Amino acid sequence: MPEPAFLFGQFLGGLTAGMFLFTIAAGLSLIFGVLRVLNFAHGSFYMFGAYLGWQVMSWVGPGTEYFWLAALAAAACVALLGIAIEHCLLRHLYRREELYQLLFTYALVLILADCAKIIWGTGQLSVSRPPSLSGAVQIFGTTVPHYNLFIMLLGPAIALGLWLLMHRSRVGRLVRAAVMDREMLGALGANVGSLYTIMFGIGAFLAGLGGALVTPVKSIVPGMDVEVIVEVFIVVVIGGLGSLWGTFLGALVFGQVLAFGILIMPRFSIFAVFALMAIILIVRPWGLLGKPLR
Amino acid sequence: MHRRLLLMAASSIAVALSSGALAQGTIKVGFPMILSGPGALFGEPALKGAQMYVEEINAKGGVLGRKIQLIPRDTKGNADEAVRVARDLILRDDVQFIVGTLTSAEGPAVSTIARENKVVFIAPIPKTDQLTAPANLHPYVFRSASNTTIEGRTAAEIVAKWPVTRIATIAPDYAYGQDVTKAFVEHLKKIKPGVEIVDQQWPKLGEADYTPFINAQLGKKPEAVYSSLWGGHFVTFAKQAKPLGYFQALNNNFIGVGEAGSIESTRSMGADYPVGIWANTYDIFDWPDGPPAHKDYIARLKKFTKEETPSSWPVTGYIGMQFLVEAIAKAGSVESDKVSAALKGLAIDSPIGKLTMRAKDQQANHGQFWGRTRMDPKYPFAVLENVTRIDPAPFMD
Repeated sequence: MPEPAFLFGQFLGGLTAGMFLFTIAAGLSLIFGVLRVLNFAHGSFYMFGAYLGWQVMSWVGPGTEYFWLAALAAAACVALLGIAIEHCLLRHLYRREELYQLLFTYALVLILADCAKIIWGTGQLSVSRPPSLSGAVQIFGTTVPHYNLFIMLLGPAIALGLWLLMHRSRVGRLVRAAVMDREMLGALGANVGSLYTIMFGIGAFLAGLGGALVTPVKSIVPGMDVEVIVEVFIVVVIGGLGSLWGTFLGALVFGQVLAFGILIMPRFSIFAVFALMAIILIVRPWGLLGKPLR
Repeated sequence: MHRRLLLMAASSIAVALSSGALAQGTIKVGFPMILSGPGALFGEPALKGAQMYVEEINAKGGVLGRKIQLIPRDTKGNADEAVRVARDLILRDDVQFIVGTLTSAEGPAVSTIARENKVVFIAPIPKTDQLTAPANLHPYVFRSASNTTIEGRTAAEIVAKWPVTRIATIAPDYAYGQDVTKAFVEHLKKIKPGVEIVDQQWPKLGEADYTPFINAQLGKKPEAVYSSLWGGHFVTFAKQAKPLGYFQALNNNFIGVGEAGSIESTRSMGADYPVGIWANTYDIFDWPDGPPAHKDYIARLKKFTKEETPSSWPVTGYIGMQFLVEAIAKAGSVESDKVSAALKGLAIDSPIGKLTMRAKDQQANHGQFWGRTRMDPKYPFAVLENVTRIDPAPFMD
């Protein structure tokens, strides 16, 4: 039996990974929940968040507290990009079959990947942790970096924020009404189009934020867009596409299965995650907390 | 009717003559390489090195009085795509030689195409032993790169001198990671029988989160770790391992192969690099004990790439092309069989010293640079100190 301190460290590692994924997956799930569009380009938004975060950092001073500013600026830029894409392009496809929407977002993946390559090249880029969070603390004999602690707290904060937005604000009420009956809401005089644009922008913002915040723990390379979208899809499939708490649960499960999977089957840890997804798809295709599509 | 036949014959002769004349004009060399995606980090500079060599040799009048034409193609880091572009280069572009491929999946895949078409193929980067293993060896495949045996055993020679016995390994779970780890473990056990391998971690290639692997490894309390995570994978790993106190717990008894000490990696990480660990690289721009030829090469490279601190990967493409061109000169011909014969046992004066393409296994004795990393006030990134280029000849099979 491994030491408790080690198991705790493994648990926290899984929790950090899960909360990173939640930050990104929350946006994907939100967009699907409201617009019913499965956005393949969500990973590309994440990648742009990372590159833009690096770009702003290199302007304002690498290795300083401007990191936070850079992360927010990058996420805001990605949100604007998302809004532009939704407003100019995607909205023409809402009445088409889902296949066209899928093809469109897939085309976006290819286009955005090439754009990133033209702007930032193919080299690997890296961002340092902000000085305020560069240290680590000892918890029960396990070293936990401050930055990881921050991510572990950020996940629930985002979940709570989104829940308040959807259930305690006017915009949230309108959005939930739009999900129930789009035409009726429009007939009542609400501007459904701009509601969709706002939601798409928030989803893109979360992807961009996730990308910018991941830069201190990962290298920024071409291909990170596709890598993350696969993991995020697994998270939302496990938890339930369109469900906020389902996505949260899916991210937690993903992180822990990965962390403890490697203890049991070191060479097949990723297999455990895929196996879990397959089982859920068979037993409960709408995910742990999702609802069957009408 | 006769006239028509005559015309057809005449025109086909003309076509044959003109294509013959063209072939006589330049020597075409296909260069399949990763030019997009994460692998392009090394593929792009490798191509630069090859281009620089070609430019220099053409400025001197080429070889056998003919110019070299380099035709690069993107393999996208995918063995199937590498096979497709290699076929395309041979059948459509009429290349007489192939120099290229990067991963240990691409190299052996293109080798089979070279064998089918009897085209000499020099692999400047793929390291898996399987490429030139007896079962896969054929007259047209050569490797100017190092290989997993050389790299793993060299690391074992270094680690054997450390006062440690509990060793762990971490490697990407595919051909290169498996082979280079096996070579290390076997050689280390042979030269220092007291060692114990206490843990082996196998994250998948391209793993995004190494934290669980790092924790699991620390849980086994190793005294030293041998890693073969390369390129961006090493960067991600080190960024996650450093704040967890991983390198500290190991007292910096960590050796990173797969060019963890390359300037491409240290430059991108800056102050985040785990300074104090051991690592290797194909080239260093500042080699105080190096021969004049190396200093001259670095000066030319600086000019060619317009980089103040040039990359370490161009030397791989450069050496691959140098082997080919010197073999053509020695053979006095561009015929595959003659060039293949000339390559066997060919010794060249490369920028990093004398290299020999061994006749026995068509493998160059290409060792790498090894050293401990440290911060140098002259640069904003880590460099290798007490760097040595270790000649692998004594422990190659």
